[in-house]
Amino acid sequence: MIAKKKLIALLLLLAGLTLAALLPLGISNYMLRVIDMMLITYVCVLSLFVIFGMTGQMSFAQAGYWGLGAYITAILTTKFGVAPLLALLVSALGTGLFVALVGMALFRLHGHYFGFATIGVVMTLNGIFQNWTPVTGGANGIGNIPPFGIGGWHITSDLGYFYLLLFFAVAISLVTEWIHRSALGRSFMAIRDNEIAAKCMGVNSYFTKNVAYVISGVYCGIAGSLFAFLSSYTSATSFVFPQSVLYLVMLMLGGYNSLLGPIIGTVLLIMLPEWFRPLQEYILLVYGIGVILLMVVMPDGLIGGGKKLYACVVRKKCQPDDFDKSADNGIG
Amino acid sequence: MALQLLITSLAMGIVYGMVAMGMVLIWRAGGIVNFAQGELLMAGAFISYTLAETMGIPVWIALVACAVIMGLVGVVFHFITYWPLRNSWDITVIISTIGASIAMKEAATLIWGPAPLSVEPLVDGVARFSNVSIEWQFIVTIGVSAVLMAGIFYLLERTFLGHILQATVQDQYAASLIGIPVIVATSLTFAISALIAGVGGMLLAPVFFVTSTMGGITGLKAFAAVVIGGFGSVHGAIIGGIIVGFVDTFSGAYISSTYRDAIVFMFLIVVLVIRPQGLFGEKIAEKV
Repeated sequence: MIAKKKLIALLLLLAGLTLAALLPLGISNYMLRVIDMMLITYVCVLSLFVIFGMTGQMSFAQAGYWGLGAYITAILTTKFGVAPLLALLVSALGTGLFVALVGMALFRLHGHYFGFATIGVVMTLNGIFQNWTPVTGGANGIGNIPPFGIGGWHITSDLGYFYLLLFFAVAISLVTEWIHRSALGRSFMAIRDNEIAAKCMGVNSYFTKNVAYVISGVYCGIAGSLFAFLSSYTSATSFVFPQSVLYLVMLMLGGYNSLLGPIIGTVLLIMLPEWFRPLQEYILLVYGIGVILLMVVMPDGLIGGGKKLYACVVRKKCQPDDFDKSADNGIG
Repeated sequence: MALQLLITSLAMGIVYGMVAMGMVLIWRAGGIVNFAQGELLMAGAFISYTLAETMGIPVWIALVACAVIMGLVGVVFHFITYWPLRNSWDITVIISTIGASIAMKEAATLIWGPAPLSVEPLVDGVARFSNVSIEWQFIVTIGVSAVLMAGIFYLLERTFLGHILQATVQDQYAASLIGIPVIVATSLTFAISALIAGVGGMLLAPVFFVTSTMGGITGLKAFAAVVIGGFGSVHGAIIGGIIVGFVDTFSGAYISSTYRDAIVFMFLIVVLVIRPQGLFGEKIAEKV
């Protein structure tokens, strides 16, 4: 039975990958660029999935870390002529190191206070990106970042970047799923569900939260580096607090209990504005109202809400607590 | 120079404090963090523009009318974002207030257009004390805010209505058992919260231009004020707001005008690291 389930899951995954790999054939260049951005955003949402969805620590600083990754790559490749692959690696590790320092300082705070302090982190980082002109280029940003490549071979087209980004998105998804099922992931979730109980079970919560935060920081560093290569230009206006909020909305709309949530949330929120382009200036208004409505109707996100709906259909009868307060998994 | 800065930072700080106080009231009543508080301030600024500039109502009547309208906005806000979600996880409510903030910003752009609007000050001109000159607007801002906040303190601490609100804050279920209509109490809290944010917006409108983005940074600074003051403490929020106002203005004047936002938020992090529960926050024992 389990083997059969695994086989089905594997086949579905393969089918999905084939579909994804064939997707760019026959769509416009513009759409391809949108999808490239979607994959980068997806990696950032996954980083939030690790620190918030699994560990329950709300971090608003993800866009700042994303920017840090992008700036490290931009500075290394344009000013020091470092090879792209090495720059990617340094971005990932450098961002991870920075996040470790932030985490060591801020995980002394509990519950909501940690989330509030990370707002300070993203605002400070953005202030530095915007104003430290000799290093970050200030308001002009850094341009002319060379394309990604290994050795003498370079990626020149958006299609090439699509496959590169797809590779990273899939690889990071697999790593995340592996963490999700490992003992480490279970200790993350123990902290999310009840930190004191987790401590009683022997989980070193301070250390474990830091590990989760560093993992999420490395994801952001990779995403930022890839973003710098893709757009060949970085500017501080991308790495702002509202972008972090967008990640949070994507995660919450999709659902934070499985990897499917971030996928659906990201695809939906990136593609909806494209599909509803005729609405023009009303699009953000509709988007805001839509977010409220979705939260009111499905507080557990689309995946959680869909599961409940499915359970109702199977039982042919809805139980009142199906749509009531979800399990007691509040933060702090 | 120093006195001028002092008055300016006190005026800015007291407005941050008012918005922060609104956040704390909502936090205490519903246990949620309202991310749309800055947008309520923006709405107050736009409404005051329509009342005073477009319709030509005298400013002081416009101030009262603006307060009343914002109170109603608060009640509507309560029924859309909080009431349907009162039993779910608090992050869900946060997301719905984020949705509300996006929708309000866009609605303001659609109604009033994207161009910044300018509003006449409540009292024109400049006050002169020996050799320093201070705009009357700042002094009026401090006065109006102080009176409004004193009124709300009186309402909460001394009146029967205030006791009803406080009882609901302490325990919604127990309050409903002794016959307090919880829905009225929470919507009234939201109304008060939106009202003070809106008046803050009206007081800030002549100082800055009125734009749909003015709520964003002001809201975040008010948020910093709430955290510095200690979450849940009303007087902490006001003092936190004044501290943020001082750090904001003085770092802009003496350290670097470009880094002032970054300095304010660095300050927030430093305060939190030194005192994790904020200045006036109580250390709450964690329960299993």
